Amino acid sequence: MTETSRMTETGAAAAEAGQQAAAPPEPTPPPPGPAYGVLGWLRWGWRQLTSMRTALILLFLLAVASVPGSLLPQQGIDPAAVQQYYASHPGLAPWLARLSLFNVFAAPWFAAIYLLLFLSLAGCVVPRAYRLARSARALPPPAPRNVARMPQSVRHQTGQDAAAALAAATAVLRRRKFRLRTGDGWVSAEKGYRRELGNLLFHLALLGLLGAVALGGLFGYKANRLLVSGTSFANTVTALDEFHPGRLVSSADLQPFTITLNRFAASYVRSGQLRGQPTSFNAYLSYSAQPGAANQRYDLRVNHPLNVDGVKVYLIGHGYAPVFKVTDGTGKVVYDQPVPFIAVNTSGLTSEGVVKVPDAKPDQLGFAGVFLPTAVDTGGTLESVFPAPLNPRVSLISYKGNLGMNSGPSQSVYALNTAGLTELPVAPRPLAPGQSIKLPGGAGTLTFTGYRQWASLAITYDPGQLPALIAGLAALAGLLLSFFIRRRRMFVRAYPGPGDRTVVDVGGLARSDPAGGFDEEFSRLAEEFRVAYAGETSEGKTD
Amino acid sequence: MAVNQGLSHLSDHFLMITLVLYFLAVLAFAADFAFGKRSSAEPAEAAVPELVTAGAAGAGTAGATAGPAAGPAQASAADLGGAKASGGTGRPAAASRPSLRDASLWVRAGLGLTVLGVIAHIAGVVIRGLAVHRVPWGDMYEFVIAVTCVAVLFFLGLMFRYRPYRLGLFFMAPIVIIIGLAQTVIYTPAGPLVPALNSYWLAIHVTAITLATGTYVVAAVLAVVYLFADRHTRRVAAGLPVRNGEVFRLLPSPERLDQFAYRTVVFAFPLWTFGIMAGAIWADEAWGRYWGWDPTETWAFITWVVYACFLHARVTAGWRGRRAAYIQLVGFGCLLFNLLGVSLFITGLHSYAGLS
Repeated sequence: MTETSRMTETGAAAAEAGQQAAAPPEPTPPPPGPAYGVLGWLRWGWRQLTSMRTALILLFLLAVASVPGSLLPQQGIDPAAVQQYYASHPGLAPWLARLSLFNVFAAPWFAAIYLLLFLSLAGCVVPRAYRLARSARALPPPAPRNVARMPQSVRHQTGQDAAAALAAATAVLRRRKFRLRTGDGWVSAEKGYRRELGNLLFHLALLGLLGAVALGGLFGYKANRLLVSGTSFANTVTALDEFHPGRLVSSADLQPFTITLNRFAASYVRSGQLRGQPTSFNAYLSYSAQPGAANQRYDLRVNHPLNVDGVKVYLIGHGYAPVFKVTDGTGKVVYDQPVPFIAVNTSGLTSEGVVKVPDAKPDQLGFAGVFLPTAVDTGGTLESVFPAPLNPRVSLISYKGNLGMNSGPSQSVYALNTAGLTELPVAPRPLAPGQSIKLPGGAGTLTFTGYRQWASLAITYDPGQLPALIAGLAALAGLLLSFFIRRRRMFVRAYPGPGDRTVVDVGGLARSDPAGGFDEEFSRLAEEFRVAYAGETSEGKTD
Repeated sequence: MAVNQGLSHLSDHFLMITLVLYFLAVLAFAADFAFGKRSSAEPAEAAVPELVTAGAAGAGTAGATAGPAAGPAQASAADLGGAKASGGTGRPAAASRPSLRDASLWVRAGLGLTVLGVIAHIAGVVIRGLAVHRVPWGDMYEFVIAVTCVAVLFFLGLMFRYRPYRLGLFFMAPIVIIIGLAQTVIYTPAGPLVPALNSYWLAIHVTAITLATGTYVVAAVLAVVYLFADRHTRRVAAGLPVRNGEVFRLLPSPERLDQFAYRTVVFAFPLWTFGIMAGAIWADEAWGRYWGWDPTETWAFITWVVYACFLHARVTAGWRGRRAAYIQLVGFGCLLFNLLGVSLFITGLHSYAGLS
């Protein structure tokens, strides 16, 4: 009974140490000498890697390594914030980038930590799974010679003979669903194998979770598309604003659906302290799953995604797209369309955007604008005080010259390259819908004809979703099993005592009981024995 | 649906009453340390050593269930006395546990005030929920109020199950401070939810996180008390001078505190795991991915990992005891940072605190 020898003053903790003997325990093996050879070194390294101490350190490292990912802007989450960081910390940013600190969760060193951790986990769990499978039918060990030396023990005396007392105790244990082994004058019993099963299930499920994440990373994709009311798009790479395919995804794998945004509606709290807080967003869509398929309608909301053949479409953003009509110097209408503006604050949805008119003659025209849904004059400056369009205004700065769209790097549609442009001296008068600016020098006219709303959609496909859910549930089930089941053994020895009495020694041992509580169960069982063979207690102890 | 302002104010009143009752409870528990011994000439005297031995290994409960004669060998006279009271029947009896009657008048007053306080607390939370027609943990203020409610309920459960009465002061003092701060610093009037939160997953995800957080609060208090008690025990063992020995003599033993803390974390950890999973499912529903390393998600993960470290450390030689307790406190620090630091200072998808 190695477990007994491990028992020290803190029974519960030591019992757990006995269980941990399954995993390679401390102290670690002596450092390898030259006699080890390659194989010896490998074995030593493997043993180190799969030790609990290494696993603990790796777990800690994983936690610490995640921290910068939450404190620094991340490329995968908010690329604009990364750009901003570059602008404000030009010296530091390139160094951080070299250390993958803007992409922590895809960094090689982050991967190294979790792969080592999972390797360590596998190295610990797989052998234990073997052992568990073998022990599935194994009997508990024979009762020790001196049962009273168990951490929990009690001595009873009874008038029944030894065989009858043992039979009575055995009946109790059987009723309690212990696994039994009987011998000459003793019974040993064990229960709680499912604890180890739960423990293994939990750790294997974590490995499964990693696999599910990998599956999504290889075969899934993510995309974004901004859609102005009244327009549509088809799910092709060229029609998407952003496309992040998994490693094994090609553009041919995109599901060929088409989506039209018929109307977007938002509602807000209209009064009180929370005035302006949104209460609902609805994007009324119609879509067809593939070319030629019937058109279906869908009311897309936050928390209410659309599922088209396993691909999910989410509402992730919204805003205003003012509509501008531009007549150039030659009197020709060269521009008449909505332009999505991006909100720069959430309380009043003040939005910014640019209008680029490359076809204007004689000079190209450009405008940088601010859209205010509910414009209010606050001491000389206009501000939007409410997100709904109660008093929409646009104020613009006008430019003419060269937009620089035919040369140089590709431009953002939300920014104006003013290098080749000159600002036109136009009185800064905010426009109401229907109003126009006449540009000086016969450069043309711009009319703010109205506005529409836009919705931005996220399109994702992740085949690892369901496996991840299953792995997560399995991990939870394993966790509960391993926490709330304790593995314990009971031993009973009966032998003739003074007079014609029989002495019954009852001992108990929790092989894993870190939460404590076996002492109570032991007392309860011993009491049941005592009642079963009508004995009385002569001495007992609990550690 | 519109907010019912009348109910909202009623909820505020109840929570104010809660704070007052908890504060009085703290005073009562503190008074027990100051005057408790002198004021109770009757059975309380016997209860004191009994609590200490019961702390050693739960001997009190073991003795009770095994009947009088099966009482543990090293049980104190008080323990056996208690067991004898229930003797004769041979049936398990709760009478030999440190009973409420053995506790000092101050402890009973403290417990009574806490129970009244938690009733007002529950009423405040429920009425707030009725006022806003949803689960009442939709913003930071509501969340903190709900978490403290869970913590107090769990603490009362611990009190009535294991009766470590003198921990009352150490529990209720931080609770009073947290609720006081919540009502003054982060109070948010009752309002409807932003669309992002408008999902039944709010009820599932945030409820699990609330329950887990409240339980972790209890575990953290236990860890702190454990560290002090353990230090005291070591100093006594080493023959070093100690201060406040009287206080530590009245507290459960370090082993017992450690066991309480572990059981508490064992209760909270699966809830936290479930909360994260429910959050992942909701994130998938709302944002199109089940995990995206949003700052709040990242810190929930870090918290999970550190508590997992604690659970492993406690069964690893050389990491038990103080080190494990420190790890648990680091985990609680991560939890707090996620709740306060990340919600207030880092912009992410979880920026719902309702504070600006």
